[in-house]
Amino acid sequence: MRQPLLFLIPVFCGLTASSALASGYDSGPQGARVLGLGGASTAYINSIAGLSTNPGLLGQWADSLTRVSIGGIGQVRRGSFVGQDTYQRTDQELAVQPGGYLYATHALNKRVALGLAITTPYGYHTKWPSTWEGRSVIQESQLSTYFVQPTVGIRLNDNFSAGVGFVYAFGKYTQRRALGQYDDPTAQTQLSASGSGFGVNAGLYGRSGDNLSFGISYRSSVQLKMNNGTLTTTGVPARDASVAPASSDFTTRISMPSTLSVGIADHITKKLLLTFDFSLSGWSAVDSLKLSVAATGSTPARNQSSVRRYEDALSFRIGSEYQVSPKLTLLGGFHYDETPVRDEYINPEFLDANRVGVSAGLSYQLSTRLALEGAYSFDYGQLRTARVSQVDEKVANVAGTYRIAVNTASVGIAVAF
Amino acid sequence: MKHFPFTLSGRAGVVAATALLLNACAPAQDTPTPTTGIDLSHYLAVGDSYTAGLSAGGLTRTSQDYSFPNLLAQQFALASGGGSFVQPTLEAGTGTGYFSLLDYTATGLPRTRRVAGAAVRRTVVNPTACGGPDTVRLFTRSATAGALPQNLGVPGLRLSQIEVAGLGNETNATPGGAFNPYFERLLPAADSRTYLGAVTTAASSATFFTFFQGLDELMPYIRSGGTCGSVSLALADPMKTNARKILDVLTANGHKGLILRLPDIRTLPLLRQGQGKSVEARLQAFYKDKATIYIESPFAPGTSQPITEEDYILATALPRVGQLTPVQVGGSTLMLPYGRDERNPLRNADVLDKVSELNVLTGIVTAYNAGSTNPSRPLILSLESLAKLYKMPVVDPSVSLYTVDTGALFANVGNSVAIGGVVYSSEPVRGNFFSLDYYTLTPRGNALLANTCITAINKAYQANIPAIDVNRLPTTAQ
Repeated sequence: MRQPLLFLIPVFCGLTASSALASGYDSGPQGARVLGLGGASTAYINSIAGLSTNPGLLGQWADSLTRVSIGGIGQVRRGSFVGQDTYQRTDQELAVQPGGYLYATHALNKRVALGLAITTPYGYHTKWPSTWEGRSVIQESQLSTYFVQPTVGIRLNDNFSAGVGFVYAFGKYTQRRALGQYDDPTAQTQLSASGSGFGVNAGLYGRSGDNLSFGISYRSSVQLKMNNGTLTTTGVPARDASVAPASSDFTTRISMPSTLSVGIADHITKKLLLTFDFSLSGWSAVDSLKLSVAATGSTPARNQSSVRRYEDALSFRIGSEYQVSPKLTLLGGFHYDETPVRDEYINPEFLDANRVGVSAGLSYQLSTRLALEGAYSFDYGQLRTARVSQVDEKVANVAGTYRIAVNTASVGIAVAF
Repeated sequence: MKHFPFTLSGRAGVVAATALLLNACAPAQDTPTPTTGIDLSHYLAVGDSYTAGLSAGGLTRTSQDYSFPNLLAQQFALASGGGSFVQPTLEAGTGTGYFSLLDYTATGLPRTRRVAGAAVRRTVVNPTACGGPDTVRLFTRSATAGALPQNLGVPGLRLSQIEVAGLGNETNATPGGAFNPYFERLLPAADSRTYLGAVTTAASSATFFTFFQGLDELMPYIRSGGTCGSVSLALADPMKTNARKILDVLTANGHKGLILRLPDIRTLPLLRQGQGKSVEARLQAFYKDKATIYIESPFAPGTSQPITEEDYILATALPRVGQLTPVQVGGSTLMLPYGRDERNPLRNADVLDKVSELNVLTGIVTAYNAGSTNPSRPLILSLESLAKLYKMPVVDPSVSLYTVDTGALFANVGNSVAIGGVVYSSEPVRGNFFSLDYYTLTPRGNALLANTCITAINKAYQANIPAIDVNRLPTTAQ
């Protein structure tokens, strides 16, 4: 039972197996079926998971059915590092970033439909061995976000629909790094904060004839305002107790980019659908991680800043869906994601690179109302070389080469009744 | 319907297979293969305090283990061709005495106390030494005394002493005698060999060397604020002459090595911490006043002059600046803040003034490192000229240097550098580079110096020697 699985390892790892979409700390397509499709879902109406990508699709589901789609996502984003001068290789530890989605749509009448999307569109979990070369830059960092998007969709006519959603976002950020200036190897500083923000999402969907459709959507950037941060330090010798107090409060802001997507979907044959997406993410909203740390005891208030300087990034996706039988649909996808991280600001807290990825998935109709969906995606990043100017002591970094690979898997069910 | 047998072993197998699958997916990267490029099997280190591994004013077994030559040798050993490296180690847990941190003054300066060393076997006090009584401490003999060690670093060794016979013979351990106790413990008892003689013997079997010597010629003068000994620009010539005597021996038979330049003395915390105007500003902020710092005029004894940007207060004197001390003014005794009143200027012994002392010292270092050759004395060459003479390779192609520029490292550290997320600066204790004697290095400082050498070797000899993860080392050698 187990052995047949093992031979798949080289297939998954060496070649590719599937993909997630998205650059930066975008955690990929939010739904098993769209994950299998490689995320090219701006003009894809066969899964209501398109709701989070393009609210304009919602009008297409303004029929008598209530649809619900729910599932889980697990993402392993893993990097390796080789020190520029030390030649030491370090692999990131295995850390699964959990995610999930819940979509529901219901038509009020033939023109107007309501939808709800709860997704985890941004996040990462970086975990380095606690003794690695860059331990004083970062040991562990995690960002998780939850987007709740109530949406209204309007069917303008038989061929066009439009939708708009309101986004409430909640996020949690934790970080841990060693204080390498002290002898105590357990001396470290930890950050923990959470907060929320708002945004909007709007889109259009149109169809020309039965075979070709297109979509365009825009989601605004969302800034999470985190006002309840706690910064703790441990292992600081008594002589520096006033420099690094055991616990301080801080506030920070973490931004998620705006996204502009355009896509088309084309029925090549009755059974084969091809989709294409092109999107631009406004990562330049992410400039630096700034912490405003409040005064504690005799330690005055201070600001800490870690420079990011992300730039806007493009991604390109192709998906295909093939109906093998009335019950079984296979999905496949390919994508290329440009990274928002510039060479000068490569940081092991969140590694990213231009990535190519492939994905595969399936949907199996268990009954007329219930479908089981599953998908897997694999991304492989370009080798990145971080050069460090030691003289610039404000940019904490470690010089070397980095490479990342991202594995994402998702399973879920889709119900229509 | 048959169920999957979800036994314990079956579950373990699934977990193992899943873990294997995911672990196998860490993206691979090739690591460079360490190579040495040249024969590093027998490395000989020649020099003074830095080479010996002096730290916080003394040697300990730990400070020797973290001397930059020993750290270098360990990295050589990681690449093929690295051999063993024998150091004249003290017994584990013993030392020659060192400074430890007592506390911080209200103005944020570290205060130290001297901890006696267990390796001291005899002391000789010279009550009439310049600057107050001086104690010479003799130490337990190194186990390597029979055959010379590969680390010939001798703390306090002056270049001018390399041909003094009996420098390491206990019979010369008299008040005022020409004697170096650190050299004495390297040699067998009652051995009158000169340092140059010892280097000649050791060099015959060496395949690679580092030479980092000369600073200890100047340190006694610097530490005394220019009051002990006389130093003039002409000192550069005998220093160059003697450096050449050693280097002629080390490079004989085409042996490869690295010649290290001396750093700018103003980058040493002994001086940098006490840069005139910045101390003045610091104290003004602390006392919330506008008091100027005054120093004794070097040219008109008894008169005061305001301190300038290029007069340096010795770091060892800094805690006393601003303290009230009794001063005879007219017929009465007043308590005045030391240095912060025109009538109570900083004594000459606490300051290196710009014109008569500092400029001379920096001039000597510059001339010794890379000064031009006097056509009338063509055999007296700077380190840089010597390296070219010996046809040594370029160690830094970006600036075409044939010698290792330690000054660049020291200057960068002075302005703060970040290594793997840890900031290093020239501040003792918190800066993690310089030790509490304001001069020698911590283990991490030694590792940064060793990494500078590794970079130079890698460039000069097309080697691939891995550098040290500096942050992994201890912050003190005591």
